[in-house]
Amino acid sequence: MKLSFYPGCSLEGMANDYARSIIAVFKQLGIELIELEDWTCCGATAAHSLSEMMAVTLPARNLATAEKLGLDLVSPCANCFNRLRFSQVMIQKNIYDVPWQVSGDLQIHEMTRFLAEPDMIKLIKQRVTRPLSGLKVVCYYGCQMVRPPKITGFTDYENPQTLDLLARAVGAEVRDWSFKTTCCGASIGIGRKDIQESLTGRLLQKALQTGADAIVVSCPLCQSNLDIFQMDAGGSGIPVFYFTELMRLAFKKNDKAHKWFKVHFTDPVPLLKEKGFLT
Amino acid sequence: MSKINHTAQQETVDSGPSTERQLIGDRGNHLLDRIEGETGANISACYQCERCTNACPASYYMDIKPHQVIRYVQLGWHENLMRSSTIWVCLSCEMCTTYCPNEVDVAGVINHLRNTAAHSSIPPKERHLAVFHQTFLEQLQRFGRVNELWLMNAFNRKPHILKEKIKNGTLKKEIRLGYALWRKGKLHFIPRRSKAIKEIKEVYRRKRGEVF
Repeated sequence: MKLSFYPGCSLEGMANDYARSIIAVFKQLGIELIELEDWTCCGATAAHSLSEMMAVTLPARNLATAEKLGLDLVSPCANCFNRLRFSQVMIQKNIYDVPWQVSGDLQIHEMTRFLAEPDMIKLIKQRVTRPLSGLKVVCYYGCQMVRPPKITGFTDYENPQTLDLLARAVGAEVRDWSFKTTCCGASIGIGRKDIQESLTGRLLQKALQTGADAIVVSCPLCQSNLDIFQMDAGGSGIPVFYFTELMRLAFKKNDKAHKWFKVHFTDPVPLLKEKGFLT
Repeated sequence: MSKINHTAQQETVDSGPSTERQLIGDRGNHLLDRIEGETGANISACYQCERCTNACPASYYMDIKPHQVIRYVQLGWHENLMRSSTIWVCLSCEMCTTYCPNEVDVAGVINHLRNTAAHSSIPPKERHLAVFHQTFLEQLQRFGRVNELWLMNAFNRKPHILKEKIKNGTLKKEIRLGYALWRKGKLHFIPRRSKAIKEIKEVYRRKRGEVF
């Protein structure tokens, strides 16, 4: 099975740990990821804030490249996925003209939703050699992945299940909470630190109240807000994992596993040692 | 009578939204029609149930709340909206749009207002956020991709940003964070470029008038 892969800028920089874990997990699942050639940035929040035209045009080049490849596109970053889908929908509606040939019938998968399909869950369960039993987690989806439902195609946008299914598949115990899709503040911390700290702080507090040991995310920006700025937001050291990191941990026993988590600001190694997943 | 109301309007423009009475429809339905036409949002359907404001995670920090934004558009109070912090504080998390019982695209309207404000001569109320968005697009134009280190560097070099950061002490924190990120291998000094940069630059050139 082959898929074209649009990593996005975060995965080259701040979220390179996410990128590494994705590549390892897909390798073990036997799915080949083909990175789009010369991909460019999707424009993120800045493009649509300043000019909707740019927000449609910038991702269009990647759509055109992916269509030429003829494979389904998978995007691990929630914001990239949202922007690619937005661009595609706007092009389908013929609202903006783009300089590239885009037909708009490309299948764009959100990574968690792709992996949470019944067949893939079955495959993941087969690959798990070391279930993470006893690890209590809450899953945090963020906003860009599920909303607006007309763009993202999520039908259960109030209570999404994809990450929950994946976390359960690797053996973790998933706690339910009502803040799955509440915004973490995104990039507003650049100008208004107070807003970001209050939003992130509330999420961390609510996650702790559920009795969870860790938060599972799939968005690079959510991860950095919850992890890097956790101490500023009054958090109490709750580790924030990418879902692929947990999958990688459950798939194969690896003595070097503690090295993956060195890039985290909130050190998850003591928790994982206590649960017996690391030696 | 109309003269008095006109001066009242002038004063409130400078002081932002106020409790003073303003003329209703002082520009006819011009603003409502324009924004409805350009965004496709059915703003007229709003019956002020405040579901959007209650769903909004950042409404506490807004001077004009989301349901008020819709009302202001209906009334044609464009300047108040352009000068508000709301349009910059909005996180585009789409909570308001998703939960509106009348399917009014509140986030779309706020985004449209933000686009208009970005191209107007009115100074943005949240200057840092507006400048950051602009810097992001400039970096994108330069490399085709965005490198966090270069982005923050370019942002700090914008007028007054560094001075303000030194004054309120955030620069020290930022440098410490940058060092920690670099130690963990999350920052790259050499930006990765996309080979398609020529095509991206062409997009900017073609739409120059519209972007900056």
